[in-house]
Amino acid sequence: MISLAGRDIQHAWGKFVFTGVGLGLLIGVTLTMAGVYRGMVDDAKALLDNSGADLWVVQQGTLGPYAESSSLYDDAYRGILGMPGVTRAANVTYLTMQVRHGGEDVRAMVVGVVTGRPGEPGQPGYLVSGRRITRGHYEAVADIAAGFKLGDQIQIRRNLYTVVGLTRRMVSSSGDPMVFIPIKDAQEAQFLKDNDAIVQQRRRAAANPLFNRPGVPGLLDAIIASQSTNPYVNAVLVQIKPSLSPEEAAEPIRRWKRLQVYTREQMEGILVGKLIATSARQIGMFLVILAIVSAAIIAFIIFTLTLGKIREIAVLKLIGTRNRTIAWMILQQALALGMIGFVVGKIAATIWAPFFPKYVLLVPQDAVGGFFILMVICVLASLLAIRAALRVDPAEAIGG
Amino acid sequence: MADMGEKGIHIEAICKRYGKGDTAVDALKGVDMQVFPGEVVGLIGPSGSGKSTLLKCLGAVIEPTSGRMTLGDAIIYDNGWKIPDLRALRRDKIGFVFQAPYLIPFLDVTDNVALLPMLAGRSNTESRKRALELLEALDVGHRAKAMISQLSGGEQQRVSIARALINRPPVILADEPTAPLDSERALAVIRILNQMAVQYETAVIVVTHDEKIIPTFKRIYHIRDGKTQEEAGEGRALV
Amino acid sequence: MMLLSMNRRTLAVLTVLVPLAALFVYVALRSGPLTPIPVTVTRVETLSITPALFGIGTIEARYTYKIGPTVAGRVKRVNVQVGDRVRAGQLLGEMDPVDFDDRIASLGAALKRAEAAALSVKAQVLEALARKTYADAQARRYEQLLQTRLVSEEMAGARKQERDTADAGVAAARAGLDAANQASASLRADRDGMITQRANLRLIAPVDGLVTARSADPGTTMVAGQPVVEMVDPTSLWINARFDQLGVSGLSAGLPVRIVLRSLKGRELDGRVFRVEPLADAVTEETLAKVVFEALPEPLPPIGELAEVTVALPALPAEMIVPNASLQRVDGHMGVWLIQDNTLHFAPVKVGATDLDGQAQILEGIKSGDRVVIYSRRALTARSRIKVVARLEGVSP
Repeated sequence: MISLAGRDIQHAWGKFVFTGVGLGLLIGVTLTMAGVYRGMVDDAKALLDNSGADLWVVQQGTLGPYAESSSLYDDAYRGILGMPGVTRAANVTYLTMQVRHGGEDVRAMVVGVVTGRPGEPGQPGYLVSGRRITRGHYEAVADIAAGFKLGDQIQIRRNLYTVVGLTRRMVSSSGDPMVFIPIKDAQEAQFLKDNDAIVQQRRRAAANPLFNRPGVPGLLDAIIASQSTNPYVNAVLVQIKPSLSPEEAAEPIRRWKRLQVYTREQMEGILVGKLIATSARQIGMFLVILAIVSAAIIAFIIFTLTLGKIREIAVLKLIGTRNRTIAWMILQQALALGMIGFVVGKIAATIWAPFFPKYVLLVPQDAVGGFFILMVICVLASLLAIRAALRVDPAEAIGG
Repeated sequence: MADMGEKGIHIEAICKRYGKGDTAVDALKGVDMQVFPGEVVGLIGPSGSGKSTLLKCLGAVIEPTSGRMTLGDAIIYDNGWKIPDLRALRRDKIGFVFQAPYLIPFLDVTDNVALLPMLAGRSNTESRKRALELLEALDVGHRAKAMISQLSGGEQQRVSIARALINRPPVILADEPTAPLDSERALAVIRILNQMAVQYETAVIVVTHDEKIIPTFKRIYHIRDGKTQEEAGEGRALV
Repeated sequence: MMLLSMNRRTLAVLTVLVPLAALFVYVALRSGPLTPIPVTVTRVETLSITPALFGIGTIEARYTYKIGPTVAGRVKRVNVQVGDRVRAGQLLGEMDPVDFDDRIASLGAALKRAEAAALSVKAQVLEALARKTYADAQARRYEQLLQTRLVSEEMAGARKQERDTADAGVAAARAGLDAANQASASLRADRDGMITQRANLRLIAPVDGLVTARSADPGTTMVAGQPVVEMVDPTSLWINARFDQLGVSGLSAGLPVRIVLRSLKGRELDGRVFRVEPLADAVTEETLAKVVFEALPEPLPPIGELAEVTVALPALPAEMIVPNASLQRVDGHMGVWLIQDNTLHFAPVKVGATDLDGQAQILEGIKSGDRVVIYSRRALTARSRIKVVARLEGVSP
């Protein structure tokens, strides 16, 4: 038995490989798109995993702290620590803002974490360089995606922080790198404004006759002092005993503390279902279009290749080649083209994925699934060419 | 092969009508022809005479409207195909030689010739061996590994003859095989056809209007307006 | 010749396909889940660490004096500016006395009148005494004459009655003198009190010091208790430092402190913990302490400036040490990832003290010489495949 498809490919291998590379780039784009979607979901999961929490306690009636802003008093955690099943509870604040370094601004999510002990919820789980924060103020641990190095001085609001540790894959759900600082500094950063605004605020308080009573010296100072403190945090992260189910631990907190509590599953549902749902649908539609375009292009390529051989096909039919053999030759070529395209596409996607600004996650399931879908597309695309080939009248080989 | 060798190819009262009703065209109006094994006969006629139609009928490529066709002992057509698998018939029993060689460009010379038996299921080595023998006989054995584009016109024509002969078919249909060739090469082709016809006991029908080779036929069928007429040819000897 | 050309074609195809396949395999192995996670490791050493406590604080003066009037009034004069150095007893300013002086004068006049009245009452006493002496003598004479029956009883009785009346008169005059004396004493006290109060309108520096605030200018109306001038004793500057409660064990008075002022970053000053406040800040959860300078920096730092203080605790005896980057919490247990026989294995540990450079003491859970994972490219699980490298790529050490 001879492989007609193999011989044809061997004979015109340059054209074939060239076409395969072109197709491969298209497939690479499709795989990358799937990777962008998975990267978005992974960002959301990373955010939840990295917080190290089993429960998120937030302001009642909000979807916070990631999907909606939430404010609790910073002493609420003391009561939560006393609830049954709770082993650790720590305050945390989140604020997406510009962090200045050397004259450049980097958009980052500044996370205020409790830094007295390692392993408190909210702190990064593992580092890739440096150490954890040991001082209660003015130290920071940053994600390498922010571009900072150990020892850099970064400016957050009015204070300078020294970068003492680096992490990887600690990002917000929209892909911004995280910068961890002690929570008291973060509380100050969240609500304390720049100097101009503070001066204005003091002036307004002094101009208000209610605050500036002459018979009560010290009242104005007390008012200004209360305006400059911030007793709020965005959430309390809770770790529970392993023997308890998250829902069991969450319910008493909801009822008695009158706060909203989300388990990890619920947070995932919020993040994936609300925050990234629209983007996910967008990418999904794009993927479908890409798949259709790929199918069309493969069909077109195979059809053109087949048409180029139409005379040989007529001769083959005339001299007695079975239809089945001819169809199999065309199908083989389509599958071979698909395989070359897949190999090129997977390589291209792996090479260019790290250069994307947001995380692109290429998972083997996508590659395997994509391979099978591609083979099915090749088979379907070759049907058009096969139909054309089989309809050729062998009599055309004999001239008029 | 041997069992079909005695009678060669024999057609009677073959008619072919294209279309229906008022627009019907009768391309063939009762054609009789007989070619014996070992013979090389010419089929000569002007264009539009039904020459190509007759060839297509002989090649089991189109279905005649009525008549009888016998190949060797077997009746292949009697007002309807009597053979279920026409393609196998073409593959095994009929050899085609075209005006242009129509060789497969992505197969080398040996594989072009060995293609049919390989497709039929014979072992690759045996098919290629047989192909090589034929190529040697046709004096193109030294080009066995070349690709078609590297051959000259005459060499290609000889390869296509080898392909037509590979399955030892009882009949070979040649459609203007010498048209693009000069007289020396044209005579060489006819010589080979005659040799092969005798050697393999094949009936060869050559459709042609090439003046260079017409004198070599011993028998000629003239076809005009859908009817044939046999006449003796010059039968000039080939050196 | 023909064979070679055939093989050349195959060779050409292979030179494209084989590297492609190899690249594909390389890509599959390098970036899928089959790839091992690069980690860096270190050996557990036994060292002595010097823990330290880090806090921030503001510079404050130990003694702050707010000098102002004790009654409502208007400021008449302020003699000092912010930044002036003053001596104890120096006049810093004065409130407007308004009618004080007039009232003092009025009281003085009243006092004089009371004293004059007392003199007059004193004369009355003398007069009563004279009358009493005469009445006494008369009564005695008539007593004697009664005994010799030279006078009538009625006349002796009358003389006795005159003596009693004279006695009463003396008593009354004496009481009147008392009253007059008390009245002038009262007026004197009033006047003295008003003079003292008048003195209160003078704002006097209680100690040597530095004027830090001048809160009112002449003409301003103030209420009692509002300060006109604030001053501090500049030699009593200290830092009011706050330490996060979570890491503050071991803080006690007398420990050496390194101080870095915000304006003098890069220059470390020496100090000492003076006192750990018994009352912590329950709202911000911080322990408060006062840190004094060993030597006050010149020029004096402004009050209210931020300072960072690092309290050095005594060195601890040698214990097993790991970098705090190795500590992770897995399934609720704090521990480290150990590499034993090329397999990854999580060991729960008990953490002791830590120092500010990120070294942590491990009291239980590992042995000296164990290989501990510090940094990893991804989160580790018990089933992760790892590859030990010297440095994680893409990250400067």
